[in-house]
Amino acid sequence: MKKEQLDIKEIFLKDERYRTSYYFSLEKLKLSLQKTGLLHPPLIALRDGHLTLVSGWKRVLACAELSFSPIPVLITEEMDDLKTFIMAFYENLATREFSLLEKAEILTRLKRFGEDEKRIIRHDMPLLDIPATLHYLDTYLAFSRFEPEVKKAIHEKNMSFLSVKPLVEFSPRERKQLLPLLLALGQNKRKELLEDILEVSRKNDIPAQKILLSPEFQAIQESETLTPLQKADSIRLLLKKKRYPALSSMQDSFKSLLKKVDWPKEIDINPSPFFEEEDFTVRFTFKSEEQLKAGLLKLEELSARKDFAKIFKLK
Amino acid sequence: MLKSRFVPRKIFIDEECRNMPLTKRILKNLSQVPTETVSNPQRFLEERRISRDAVQQGKKDLFITSQKGEFIKPCPCTPQYIGCNYFIINLDLNCPLDCTYCILQHYLYDPLLIVHANREDLWKQLDAFINKNKGRALRIGTGELGDSLVLDHITENSKDLISYFRGKGPVLFELKTKTVNIQNILETEPASNIVISWSLNSPRIARSEEKNAPPVEERIDAARRVADKGFFVGFHFDPLIRYPGCEVEYESLIARLLNRISPGKIAWISLGSLRFPPSLKPIIQERFPRTKIIYEEMVKGLDGKLRYFRPSRLDLYKRIIRCLKENGGEKVPLYLCMESDTIWREALGWVPRGKESLESYLSSSLGNSKV
Repeated sequence: MKKEQLDIKEIFLKDERYRTSYYFSLEKLKLSLQKTGLLHPPLIALRDGHLTLVSGWKRVLACAELSFSPIPVLITEEMDDLKTFIMAFYENLATREFSLLEKAEILTRLKRFGEDEKRIIRHDMPLLDIPATLHYLDTYLAFSRFEPEVKKAIHEKNMSFLSVKPLVEFSPRERKQLLPLLLALGQNKRKELLEDILEVSRKNDIPAQKILLSPEFQAIQESETLTPLQKADSIRLLLKKKRYPALSSMQDSFKSLLKKVDWPKEIDINPSPFFEEEDFTVRFTFKSEEQLKAGLLKLEELSARKDFAKIFKLK
Repeated sequence: MLKSRFVPRKIFIDEECRNMPLTKRILKNLSQVPTETVSNPQRFLEERRISRDAVQQGKKDLFITSQKGEFIKPCPCTPQYIGCNYFIINLDLNCPLDCTYCILQHYLYDPLLIVHANREDLWKQLDAFINKNKGRALRIGTGELGDSLVLDHITENSKDLISYFRGKGPVLFELKTKTVNIQNILETEPASNIVISWSLNSPRIARSEEKNAPPVEERIDAARRVADKGFFVGFHFDPLIRYPGCEVEYESLIARLLNRISPGKIAWISLGSLRFPPSLKPIIQERFPRTKIIYEEMVKGLDGKLRYFRPSRLDLYKRIIRCLKENGGEKVPLYLCMESDTIWREALGWVPRGKESLESYLSSSLGNSKV
């Protein structure tokens, strides 16, 4: 390994074979470089006659933006891509956390450079805090094949593994169509929405794209009055009705019954989760004997109503 | 369907089991199959776990090892639902049949067919267990973590187990299968506390979701031969799987079953609807991408498992129970597997209370609890 001063323009940035980080902001790093200069030289390797960057992408790009040149670099004589990449991997492993997509890129590079699959699973994945199974490896490799705009959204929204995983099942075109909805929702709702689309599609043998382009979905997506979040939520609820028709119908009956009997807002009433049991739970708060009596009296009045008794025969 | 009786691709033998009598018997029954001695079982199993579709690979090779822990365990059932006080013997683990819905894909960690060869420990543990529960009509079986008969031509388990349990009434011993591997049973004298039972499903589900298992008609035929031999038989309609028209197909199956098997020879029939932990779903999706059974309307039950929405499964149970009764099965003991008080009451009109109420009810068809 030699340390040299190198004109930054001599670094061949078009060769991204070792690059695993994208979509980052350079502002803080630039501030730091202006204060202290480049303290840790990037790692360079000679490949196909070019000085190829192995590690230190952020540093080099920030230096380039600041017109720092020449810069100190370390040049490795290692010619094997896998061994070279492992140097970069370990250098970063010791100093920072990797994002979901960086992990995906690292695993992709290890596989591309010929690392044994079993060694990746047993040795490298635990270092990245990924469960050591083939299934996880395959999923991360699939993430790295996502389209750039999808990757950018995943990175910007800091999407979790579980909420991104269902995206693997969609075509590139479908993923693009889904992006506005995914950006509007939180992790759990995003996962739920993707799973519901997939399951409605699989159950009915309808391509996901056809569901997304159906008039009812289009009407919501093209609405000029709804916010992105309202659109995503409306589509989520529409999908719920398609995926769980009997449950949705019972939930609707329950709600309309409460409306019919003018159920008071200050008394909570809930069925057993998913109506799995026949039980209902009623809850209200009080801070005096009068309030307690008023609540109980209201419940007595409601329970005496004939139309309320339908609650026990919901279908 | 398995074209003939299952033959493993290779037999791996834990070094410490090499000289056990069961190992010798297996090697005699599979003299053509290559073998390999394993000196470090833990490392061997770790290697096996890293494989594309480890579950599928695990259905091909046999590993003879010893059971380090308890052979007999209470059936775990599921929290918040009614259990049937069943006890399981963890004798052989895993199964060469490949049912879409099989919980073993998720439950078993080691991707191999495992036979525990330390049978002397089993008999000692069984003696102690039965002594401890003297007088109870315990129900014990081997078909929870693997099919009871699919390896029977290799292990001859049925002969040993029936011989052990014969005369041990009121304890009831059950072998549960989807296969027609009944040669050893037919060569064994029946006993009144032994039940050979079959898991049945509609022919459509058997064809599409019970890969490698024989057609339902062949299972019923095998049950009839076993009943004709003098054994009590049982049937498990579990998991009942919903699809358009399923009710009619289940009803037709029940009519054919009760036409061929005398209800007096049926020890019990159980019903259970499809249920599984959410974590099994991605495994099914990956291993059986064409199946649709996981996309029916299923919701989280009280135990966190996915199961059909209550009114849907209640309707299905009611129709099947009515059909069983209309076809001469009104005296056959029926029970529900992993169901709630509500479903028991609505479907069967009663709810078992306490450990022994279900035990004595289920032993009633075998001539009361003192079989």
